[in-house]
Formats: sequence, structure tokens, C-alpha cells
Amino acid sequence: MSPFSTFAPAHRAAALFGLCAAIACSWNQRALAGANPPDDAPAPDAAVSDKPDKQGAGADKEGAKPEEPAGSGNPAAAETPEAPPQKADPKLLDAALQQFYANDFRDAAPMFYAYLEGSPPTDENYAWAQYFLARSLRELGLTHAAGYYLARIARERSNPAVLPRALEELRVLTELPHDETMIDEQIFGSLDLGFLPPEIAAYAHYQQGLIALKVGNERWAKNHFAKLDETSPEASRARFALLVTRLKHAKKVDDDLIDAFYELSRDPKLTPAMKNESLLAVARLKYEKQDYEGALKAYAEVKLPPLDPGQATLYLEEAWARYQLGQLHEAMGLLTTLDAPSFRDEFLPDKYLLRAFIYRDLCHYLPAKRAAKELNRRFADSLEAIHDRTDLAEDLRLRRAAMATGGTHRAAQFLQTLELEGERLGKYAGSFGDRLFPHLVKLYDLAHAEAQRVFQERLAEAVRHEADKLLRAAEQVRLMDYEVGLKLYERVKKGAKLVTPKEEQALKDDEVAFRFDGEYWNDELRTYRFHLESRCMEDTAQ
Amino acid sequence: MRPARVVMLIGILAGAFPSAALAQYESLENPGSVSAVQERLYRMNHELDLGVGVLPLDAFYKGLAVQVGYTYHFTDSFAWQIARGTYSYSVDTGLREQLERDFGVDPTVFEEVEWMAGSDLVWSPFYGKLAVMNQRVVHFAAFLSLGGTVLKMNVGFRPGIAVGAGLRVFQNKWVSFRLDGVDNVVIADGPRVLHVPTLFLSTALNFGATE
Repeated sequence: MSPFSTFAPAHRAAALFGLCAAIACSWNQRALAGANPPDDAPAPDAAVSDKPDKQGAGADKEGAKPEEPAGSGNPAAAETPEAPPQKADPKLLDAALQQFYANDFRDAAPMFYAYLEGSPPTDENYAWAQYFLARSLRELGLTHAAGYYLARIARERSNPAVLPRALEELRVLTELPHDETMIDEQIFGSLDLGFLPPEIAAYAHYQQGLIALKVGNERWAKNHFAKLDETSPEASRARFALLVTRLKHAKKVDDDLIDAFYELSRDPKLTPAMKNESLLAVARLKYEKQDYEGALKAYAEVKLPPLDPGQATLYLEEAWARYQLGQLHEAMGLLTTLDAPSFRDEFLPDKYLLRAFIYRDLCHYLPAKRAAKELNRRFADSLEAIHDRTDLAEDLRLRRAAMATGGTHRAAQFLQTLELEGERLGKYAGSFGDRLFPHLVKLYDLAHAEAQRVFQERLAEAVRHEADKLLRAAEQVRLMDYEVGLKLYERVKKGAKLVTPKEEQALKDDEVAFRFDGEYWNDELRTYRFHLESRCMEDTAQ
Repeated sequence: MRPARVVMLIGILAGAFPSAALAQYESLENPGSVSAVQERLYRMNHELDLGVGVLPLDAFYKGLAVQVGYTYHFTDSFAWQIARGTYSYSVDTGLREQLERDFGVDPTVFEEVEWMAGSDLVWSPFYGKLAVMNQRVVHFAAFLSLGGTVLKMNVGFRPGIAVGAGLRVFQNKWVSFRLDGVDNVVIADGPRVLHVPTLFLSTALNFGATE
């Protein structure tokens, strides 16, 4: 047994954190940071309360209050008050549609906008104009603006014929980085689901169930999930979400929960990523219960697409499981995998520690010391930043680690999308004219400011978590350094012999070996086998 | 030897063999060796080949040939091509016509292969993979073959020894493509030795391979 018993809780924490990340992933990037829906039930009226109004203070009212000055992002527009828009000619919509169906979205978008500006929201074609404006904007690569108009259709519900189409478009948009509050929380999370087509309703029920789970209301979540067709993919995903939530709140992990995850991993309706998450959950839980063989079986069942490098955490966890089973050489093979360029930017302080453990257990004490100190060397800047109590978000390694997964990752992606689309919008300055362009500039400016705030908030929390992880590993390194120092100067008893070397596993008939010379091939990442003879004397062998 | 001299000697040796010193340093820094041990992705068992090829060497004619063969693979590296049969269609190069017309040479002295049949032992010591545009991995095997051939020529039957080398590129578990170059060393009248090289590109269908 390793004297560093503090590893176990650290690893457990890491595993649980991984599961939490799994929840976030499994929710298909739709978990809602800062979401605060009512406890008892989804509230459709609350949907229109907060952020979109803030985001589109001027933009929201281009139909209802056309005199609202638009384009605060444009100084020139801000200096000279704009003339109120003229009443829209009904022929304008026909002309815009003609442009739309001629795939001339650049010209169609300002015409739809002009129609919206010049028409009251009660106009029978108002929602259609919003819908086609959204589609034009999406075609032009302005997904956030498109989402904004689609969300407005969903909130205003002025035309039942347009609503299902708008929701379907929104559902597609959720597969890209998007405003989670505006779309997930305030639209799908708060819809009155009575009259929706079954597919949209299933998606919305699933989303609402997730939100209920997120705020800890499992009963409401089950209510929503119960309305899903048992054979639908959403039902499988809902089962996964429920299991993850049960796990999160479980004080003790029972076998039923593990079996449930395992059964779910065989559900053909689940996406491959979710199947893998289920298997990882099984593996982590078995590890927690010290069933390392069982954990290894679960890891082995994780299926990766051909030539996919896979996840660094998968390899590291498998390496720990093998280490616990005494399979030192196999564990070291997996650590070799983690040195591959695909994982060079991964934040895995444990990797150095495990390598040091393995060298130590094989009585190669100097390499063990070196491997342990490699952690201090590699993360010297980050450790210094932590000790100096500087802003951790400024540290590149910690920042990158924090942004790699979970809500921070999604927030960073959305922020990046807004920046990209903001630049793209500049290209349409001439085509969009002096009304739509300033309006969109303002929309993007506000969205960017909010996205930046959310990102910074999540980043601050995530870097703290990563810093904790690093500090724990650094502490282990100090202990390791001390212990190895003692071992180095341990006296060898007279007549002591080297332990009998473990017989190397011979190649089977159906196996082929490629000697590793530093060049990584993705198809080999899970197959590295390490060879190093133990130097332990019989009385010190572990 | 005194310690100072030993140190000096080591220093001189290390200077003389910098790569050896570097390797030693590396092995001290990161002791141990690593290999990627993988299950063979492609294993052959009963193989049926269908190929097209040429008999390119003869200056008087070129043979356009088709070949069919059956090979049984005992192991991943050793196989017996139990039977192969080749039919060759001769295309005159014009040289024969020129010789007949200008020099009156008797046409019967020109020997042409009409068909041939044989059997070979195949040894595949090489198995590897190639990265294609950093997007795909292609597995291949290279092999050597040695066997006997009977050639039916326009002047009669001739025995021969077939010595060859080839390359197999795997498409999937059931289909692979072979490039075979074989030299048929034929004992002709005289006695004299006649070389009949062949070059074939074949599609190989694999049956009964285990995972």
C-alpha cells in the first residue's frame, strides 16, 4: 500500500469532478450556469423576464417602438438621431422573400428588418418576417442574431404556424455555441408544451427536465422525463441525466447504480459519447469500490472512433487502476500515451506523480525523483502564481485547464463565436444599411458584454479548482521526494538478492510489435507496453 | 587504475562516442523501453487471387496475362500458394516481323508463353503500416515466394523455377491488393536457361480469417 494514502481522496475528488463534467457534457452543453428557474415548476412567463431584454434593449423594440434609436455601437449613428422608420409597404415582404429564395440573404435581411420596423407586432406576417430574417442571418453566419429573432418568435407566439419551425431552428442552433440563458433556459426551459409537435415537445421536455435536475427538483424532472417516448433518444439521455444526478447526491455508491450505468451504456439510442460517459462512470465507481479489475473491463469497453486519440483522463484513470493492480509496466505504457502531442496541453499533474510511484516501486529511485520534480518544473509558473496569490486566471496553464471542460469551456466557445460573428458583421456594413447594421452591432455588443461576464465568473471558479488540484499534486511530490530520499540511502543487507525479474509477456501469434521511438501513432495510443527490470532487492521488494 | 585516471578515461571515451554517451544519459533519465503491441488487424487464411499482368521482358512479344490462384496461409508469415494458373495473350512488338522480313529468320525459333501453372511457398517477414496524408493508416505486408512452374510454350512444355517478391496492401479483412513480380527461370532446349518474368496486380479475397 502506498504511504501516500492522501492520493485516494484526491483521486476520488478528481473522479467525481470528472463525473460532474460528464453531467455537463451529457447535457449536451446545455447546463445552465446561473440558471435560477422557479423551484416548483417551469414558468413560461418568466421566460421573457431577464436577459434578452437586457441584451436587446433597443433591438427588442424595433417593431413595437420604432422610434428607439438603434446602433449604440456605432458612434456616428449615436450622434445623429435617426428618423423614425416609415410604415412598411406589404410589397416589401414579397420583395424580401424573392431575394431570400434567390439565396441573396445579404439583400434580403435588411428588407425583412425594414418590414419589421415598419409593421406593428400584430401584423399577420410579422412573425414570418422575423423567421425569414433569422434564417437569412443564419445563412450569413450570424447565428447569435438568428437565435435572437427565433427566440423572440418563441416568446411572442404571435403566429402558431411559425412557432414549430422557429423552435426546430433553435434546436439546431443549440448544437452550436449559443446563449444558454436566452435559448435553453428562457425558451426550451420555460415553454408551455401543450401544442407543440411531438419531436419539439420531446426536446423541450428533456431540456425542462434537465433544468429541474440542475436546480435539485428531481420530482419535476421525472415528471418531464415521464412524458418522453420510451424509445426516443431523449428518454435514454434523460435516464443518463437522472443516474448522474443520483450519483451526485448519493452518500454511498451501491451496485444497482453501477449496473444501471452499465445497462445504459448498452442502449443503442444513446450517442457514442454518452455511452462512453456511462462506461467511464461505471469504471470510476468500480475504482471507488476498489474493484480495479471491473474498472479495467469498463475502460476496455470504451469505444473510440478510428484514429481518435481519445481522452487523456481515460488513460490516466486506467493507468491508476492498473497501478493499483500492480501492473506497473502497463500503467507506465499508458503514461507514455499521455506524453503524446495530442495531450501535451492537458493539465494532468497526477501523471508525473504516478510515473514517480512506478519508478519508485521498481526501485529506480533517481528517475522517480526526477519524474516527481518534473511536475514542479513544468508547473513552476503556476505554482508561483498560486503562492504569490496573483490572479490565477492570468496564468496560462491554469486558464487553459479551466477552459478545457464544462461550463467555462462552453462560455469561452460562445464568447469566441460572438467575437467571430462580430467581425463577420463588419463585412455586411454596406449591405445592411444604416438601420439593420447599427441594430445588430448593438445586439452583439450587449451579448458580448454579458458573455464576457459569464465567462469570467465561471473562469474564476474553474481556475481555483485546477489550482487546488495542482497544489495537492505538488504536496504529494514533496512527500515522494522525501520518501525516495530515504530509500536512496537505505543500506542493502549483506547477501540480499535482486528480486526475480517478472517474466516478460511474450508476443502472441496474432500480435505485432512496433518499437516506440518517440513517434506517436494514434492507432497505437492504447497499446504501449513498457519494459523495465526491477532493481528492488528481495527484502525491499514491494 | 587510480580514480582520476578512470574519470579521465571515461571523459575521453564519452567525447569520442558522443552518441553512445547521449544514449546512456537518455536511458538514465528515462530508463526502460516502450513498444506498441497490437493485435494484427489483418490476418489471411484462404486466399483467392484474381489478377492481370504482363510478361514484359521478351523483345519479340509482350504477354498480356490473367492469373487466378489459391493460397492457404498456415500462419501470418508462412503460406502455400497451392495453385496458380496464368493465361497469356501475346502481342507482337514488330521486331519479329522485321527479322522475318529483312533477315528471313525461321519463326519457329521464337518461343512464346501460352499459359503456365505452378505452386509456390510464400514467406511474409514484413508487416507494417503507412500514414497516408496523416489522415489514414494503410497496412501492408511484403513477401517472398519460391516455387515450381510448368510453362506451355508454342514449342511445347517447359519446367521452371519461380522466384518472386510481392507487396500486399490491405483494404479490409476480406479484400487486399497484391503486386507480384516473379521471375520464372525456365530450362529450355539446349540446354539453356530462359527467364520469363511476370508482373501481376491482383485482387485477393480472403475467406475464413479469424478476428
